[in-house]
Amino acid sequence: MKSAAEQVKPMTSPRTGPKPMPYEDHFKISRDDLEKILETALSRGGDFAEIFLEYQLYEFINMEDDIIKETAETVSLGMGIRVLSGDQTGYGYTSDLSLDSIRKTALTAGSVAVSGGRSRAKRPAAGSLEPGGPCHNLYPVLRPSHAASMQAKIRLVREAYLAAQHFDPGIKKVKASYQGSLKHISIVNSEGVNVRDVRPQIRLVCAAIAEKGGERESGYCGGGGRVGLEYFRTRLTPRQIGEEAAREAVNLLEAIDAPAGEMPIVLSPGHSGVLIHEAVGHLLEADFNRKKTSIFWNKMGKKVGSEKVTIYDDPTIPSSRGSYNVDDEGTRPRKTLLVEKGVVKGWLQDRLSARLMKLPLTGHGRRQDYACWPLPRMSNTYIEKGEYAAEEIIQSVKKGFYVDRLQGGQVEDSGKFTFSVSSGFLIEDGKLTAPVKQATLIGSNVDVLKKIEMVGGDLEFGLQTGTCSKEGQDVPVNDGCPTMKISRMTVGGRE
Amino acid sequence: MSGFRPTGGLMDLAESLVDFGKACGADEVEVSIVDGYEFNVDVRLGKIEDLVEAGSRAMGLRIIKDKKTAFASSSDMSRATLRRLVRRAVRRAELANPDPFSGLAPLTPLTIDIPSLELYDPEVPRLDSKTKIALALESERIALRDARITNSYGAGFVTHEASTILVNSNGFRGEYDQTYCGLSLGLQAGGTDDRVEDFWSSSKRFFKDLATPKEVADKAVARTVRQLNPRKIKTQKVPVIFDPTMTSWLLGFLFSCVAGTAIYQKASFLADKLGERIGDEKVTVVDGGLLPRELGTRPFDADGLPSRKTLVMDKGILTHYLCNTYAARKLNCEATGNSSGAGVSPNNFYLEPGTASAEDIIRSTEKGLLLIRALGHGLNPVTGDISRGAFGMWIEGGEIAYPVSEITVSGNLGEVLRDIETVGRDIEFLSPVAGPTVKIREMTVAGT
Repeated sequence: MKSAAEQVKPMTSPRTGPKPMPYEDHFKISRDDLEKILETALSRGGDFAEIFLEYQLYEFINMEDDIIKETAETVSLGMGIRVLSGDQTGYGYTSDLSLDSIRKTALTAGSVAVSGGRSRAKRPAAGSLEPGGPCHNLYPVLRPSHAASMQAKIRLVREAYLAAQHFDPGIKKVKASYQGSLKHISIVNSEGVNVRDVRPQIRLVCAAIAEKGGERESGYCGGGGRVGLEYFRTRLTPRQIGEEAAREAVNLLEAIDAPAGEMPIVLSPGHSGVLIHEAVGHLLEADFNRKKTSIFWNKMGKKVGSEKVTIYDDPTIPSSRGSYNVDDEGTRPRKTLLVEKGVVKGWLQDRLSARLMKLPLTGHGRRQDYACWPLPRMSNTYIEKGEYAAEEIIQSVKKGFYVDRLQGGQVEDSGKFTFSVSSGFLIEDGKLTAPVKQATLIGSNVDVLKKIEMVGGDLEFGLQTGTCSKEGQDVPVNDGCPTMKISRMTVGGRE
Repeated sequence: MSGFRPTGGLMDLAESLVDFGKACGADEVEVSIVDGYEFNVDVRLGKIEDLVEAGSRAMGLRIIKDKKTAFASSSDMSRATLRRLVRRAVRRAELANPDPFSGLAPLTPLTIDIPSLELYDPEVPRLDSKTKIALALESERIALRDARITNSYGAGFVTHEASTILVNSNGFRGEYDQTYCGLSLGLQAGGTDDRVEDFWSSSKRFFKDLATPKEVADKAVARTVRQLNPRKIKTQKVPVIFDPTMTSWLLGFLFSCVAGTAIYQKASFLADKLGERIGDEKVTVVDGGLLPRELGTRPFDADGLPSRKTLVMDKGILTHYLCNTYAARKLNCEATGNSSGAGVSPNNFYLEPGTASAEDIIRSTEKGLLLIRALGHGLNPVTGDISRGAFGMWIEGGEIAYPVSEITVSGNLGEVLRDIETVGRDIEFLSPVAGPTVKIREMTVAGT
């Protein structure tokens, strides 16, 4: 795993990424027509209208039982039209981009504006819809996946597969797959925004199953991001991915059942950022606070956690899975301070919540695809590094649980959250001892934030394979954290 | 007001793409098309929050050439794009390895009378927006009358209509229409720092089967307020009673462990266990694809095989894995009408009810946990291990004593199936994966 410092290395060739194409190429809709569509959308009232166009190419390669079993290709083309009227959202979408169908979609979206009065929307001056690309490129791709041959990608899958298979005679089954996509988006709104983005995303993952004496265990590893195929030569090789998946499976065969009950927890750097994503990130999404369902809604500027805790969400980390040049509402994203030394400092905003809360945009309006309207979402969320060495943190625990690999988690607005550990270790007298099987940890966020006692200096980011779900929408995200100690948390083991 | 479109042209399109694939050199071709229409309104605190209406179409394609497989799909339904995807898939198939288990399902005549499955309610497309909005508003209004409810996630009303078409080069040609409607409501009770939440929903194919706004509201309120003022408990091993929504996830986990695709990959603790006793005699689990009106019912699966009833566990014995055509060939067993394309999906996957009422089960428990909500993942099909965040009601002396939270329940599905003490009678198909209240003799409940 690479550290954040390495991840933010300067862009050597900022313009080698896939160049934005004029939207006319994919969507065959002229600028005049886009203006007319916005007018149609606002014809029944409403104070904001927006067109979101998407054209995505996706490919998939799957290897199992020693063969390339199948490949797949998906074309996704469509348009979503949104009209806001106060705090109400009207939405329509269509994959039929004929002007007739688009006009119908615009009228559907506009039907939410029940006021019937004249539109209060700011209209862009005629001819102001000059298309513009984003002014920076966070995807410094050298070997774009879409331009590489299928054979080259199949080689990566095979390499990962074989590395896992040959790692240990205990490995009985392996599965490796590659996913690559290139998503062109174009956003035009009634306030004059007119931007495009072309986002690459690739991912190589491997799962291995080890068997011994009738017992089976599985391991998983993967990598990727908004990168080109060079990533698998310079950052994380297919061999490393395969071997790591196999190592986890083999190690788990020797693991004991996790302990049950409250105890001190030490989180490994990188993957454990899932904890921050669940415990803090979601509940600082502006919509939950505007609606006062989040436990944080009345805690802006208040101290909720330990001095050691500073948390950011940063969509501008080059090449990272959760990054974007513009968000899905056309806003330039900003690194956003969420918690500083335990004090709540910021929300993650989308356009609707920022308007209603009368606060600045942060560029966190994201959507899964054209069939969904944007919601405030996380991008790359991490806890800032602290001062301790990892060894120091582990040594401070007499008896506890070391979280090595995390799978995922869930939170509800009351602040109760869980995350699931796929492998860990017992800590006894300041040392990592027996490997431990999976367990879910549960806590209450304000409580856990207060109990973060030590934060290490070794900030890392996770596997670059994470996906976050909210209201049925999935978006790619990444999480990071240094080694951390939580004084007490409930571990859901069996013994 | 329906945006639903006649699909006659889409059947022709599917057939022409199959012919085109053959002409491009494919040995076998399968084309599916789904044409759908969606309406969704969310209301919150007495006002419309958002409203969506949309139609969408998508095509799915499978090509096999020299026993090598390629898939494609598209939401761009222009003939030029679809033909290009077919040509590219035929070429791309070359890059896969020959797989003796690949290939379409053999043609099996469809003898099922589709209308008798009652998948389509003509009333659903006729519902006007006003009615749907009013039902959502009414449900939330009833719930907010309860002074203990302090905030609302809102109520939603959704309708879906869809046509599914499947054509393949073995001569299969099938089509069916379905409808779906749902009313849901999410609530919070308590102050900012001691909040509890829950929701309730009703989802049916037929509008007249749907729960009333009052029924949804009453259930959502009761489920939310019963969690107020929870206590923490000590870590201990106790009997755990799963309420039907919790039995549903337990069965969902069981499904992922009997899915043929997981079995041949050895990604399930139930691999190599066919014919063995894996559970208590009280446990009979069925996948039923033909139950009229139920959400998981369909006349044929994504391989074009007719739906059927499959006994997965018979009085504790593992009798069938659920297989698509590919997994069935790999495992040398029957395909069960569970294909979702490359994977498998449940039809109506359920635990046969017993005779006890939920009240009887609680009364039979001296000390234990009634599990009512779970949080997080923590399910591992390879080992069967379970570890999830949980909310529940603590039971003492056969009665519900107080709510508990910030706990986990853990165990192993293999042990849980053997350790089922009582199966209740209160099954209701709220989702395609369903079961009644069940009592497990012992699981680990971790707290302080």
